[in-house]
Amino acid sequence: MIELFEVTKRFGEEVAVDGISLRVEKGELCVLVGTSGCGKSTTLRMINRLIEHSDGEIHLNGQPVRTFDEVALRRRIGYVIQSTGLFPHWTVARNIGLVPRLLKWPRGEVRERVEALMALLGLPVAEFADKYPHQLSGGQAQRVGVARALAADPEILLMDEPFGALDPITREALQHELLDLQARLHKTIVFVTHDMDEALRLADRLVVMRQGRIVQQGPPLELLHEPVDDFVASMLGGEERGLKEAALTRVRDRMLPLGPRLLAHERVAAQAPLHQALSLMLWHRVDRLTVVDDDDIPIGELSLRRLVGSKS
Amino acid sequence: MSTAGSGAVRLRALPGWLGPLGWLVLLLALSLGMGWLEGLLRLVEPDSRQVLYARASFLALLGQHVLVVGVASLAAVLLGVGGALAVTRPAGRDFLPLVSQLASIGQTFPPVAVLALAVPALGFGTLPIIVALLLYGLLPIVRNTLAGIQGIDPDVHEAARGMGMTRGQILRQVELPLAAPVILAGVRTSVTINVATAAIGATVGASNLGDPIISGIVNGNTAYVLQGALLIGLLAITVDSAFERLQRRVGRRGVQ
Repeated sequence: MIELFEVTKRFGEEVAVDGISLRVEKGELCVLVGTSGCGKSTTLRMINRLIEHSDGEIHLNGQPVRTFDEVALRRRIGYVIQSTGLFPHWTVARNIGLVPRLLKWPRGEVRERVEALMALLGLPVAEFADKYPHQLSGGQAQRVGVARALAADPEILLMDEPFGALDPITREALQHELLDLQARLHKTIVFVTHDMDEALRLADRLVVMRQGRIVQQGPPLELLHEPVDDFVASMLGGEERGLKEAALTRVRDRMLPLGPRLLAHERVAAQAPLHQALSLMLWHRVDRLTVVDDDDIPIGELSLRRLVGSKS
Repeated sequence: MSTAGSGAVRLRALPGWLGPLGWLVLLLALSLGMGWLEGLLRLVEPDSRQVLYARASFLALLGQHVLVVGVASLAAVLLGVGGALAVTRPAGRDFLPLVSQLASIGQTFPPVAVLALAVPALGFGTLPIIVALLLYGLLPIVRNTLAGIQGIDPDVHEAARGMGMTRGQILRQVELPLAAPVILAGVRTSVTINVATAAIGATVGASNLGDPIISGIVNGNTAYVLQGALLIGLLAITVDSAFERLQRRVGRRGVQ
């Protein structure tokens, strides 16, 4: 659990973070989102003391971070950055094993852990263990970055725009992998991004920041429906918020069981987000879709009326 | 199995070192057997009674030369790398401009002038030339160490700190290995220049391969000058090609 109480950071005259309070529960994925220079990265870096806060208190499981030795503190917190920051003169395996080695784990345990993590992140050991970072694609390098952050099994993970430099397809794949990982590992994650779609997709709790302050925080749907002001509303997509919401809702949540009517010709997966169903309707110019499960077996149907949420 | 493996490695590694070794063999052979070239040298100086420099053995002069350059270069590396590392630490960052300026001044100051100033203070002999070479050789090492350390991707540094490495661990495991190829290039320049520059030590009584040259100039004997120059040239090439090999070995690990 991470708690920030009235935390302020000043660089000389300039106030980068202005008295923010935030509580990230154990196992929660909290996304800080805002325009550049809003203080979201600074906030993140104050948690592992890469930047020391000027005022207020930051607590980790109830204990002020200042009471920890800063090096020991950082070894307990996973850290992932946009450019990966992999050591170019070390192999993938050596990069991943960094923190366990710093913690003086026995050599065999380090190797086992590295291999387990490589498997977890879809990096075949035989193919990747001895490669150097410059031989990896952007997505592979960031998988190594995430594996390195998870190596010593930290309770907390700090991620600073980790997928910001990746192409859209790789980014989306890694976002899904992160959600899968999180479903299994239940880390406490603080994730910084300026990409609202990414924020909405990942967040359990969404924190919108502006000029060093938190403007609004809460579950993504709550922010979508009740933005406190025009800034939050426009950050969340303005007039397109309907589509953003549809992206967060699954087809299975709106479908009806199969009725007596003939099956509609066009199909949509039950797991698909709602905006994909809408797109299919627009594309095929129909107002009814057959909903299928993972094995492509029809399990229900979705009408345009149901999709938009009409009660009748 | 393992002996066969290491044998294969040795075989692969050897051809690269053949270059420096070849130059070294040539250098030693000429130091011992300058007499073989007597006929050729006679062509240059047909009127002189003696064409072979005989006041000291070439091998002894070579030894002196290597010793002087070695001591000066070692001191320059320790001082240069140490100084450059000190001013790239948070605590020493204020001195960074000062140190890079001092090193530049060291380079613009002609070694002959350093000798002229050092002799009254340190007396004749080997010490003033070591001081002159040390000052002269400092700049390439300081400049390259600074460039090597400052050239490291700031994000790599950030990640190293974020992972919980101590300052010492970052220096030893990240900064030095990444900067090593650039630092080594500076040391190579420094040492090679100093091999040539050390010859002027002969003017203040340090006996080294500069002796035949100075003596040849004083006595108007071009053959002496040639013998000194030939050996100094060979020594410089030997050292330079050895560094070239070393750089390749260091540079090959991962980073391009």
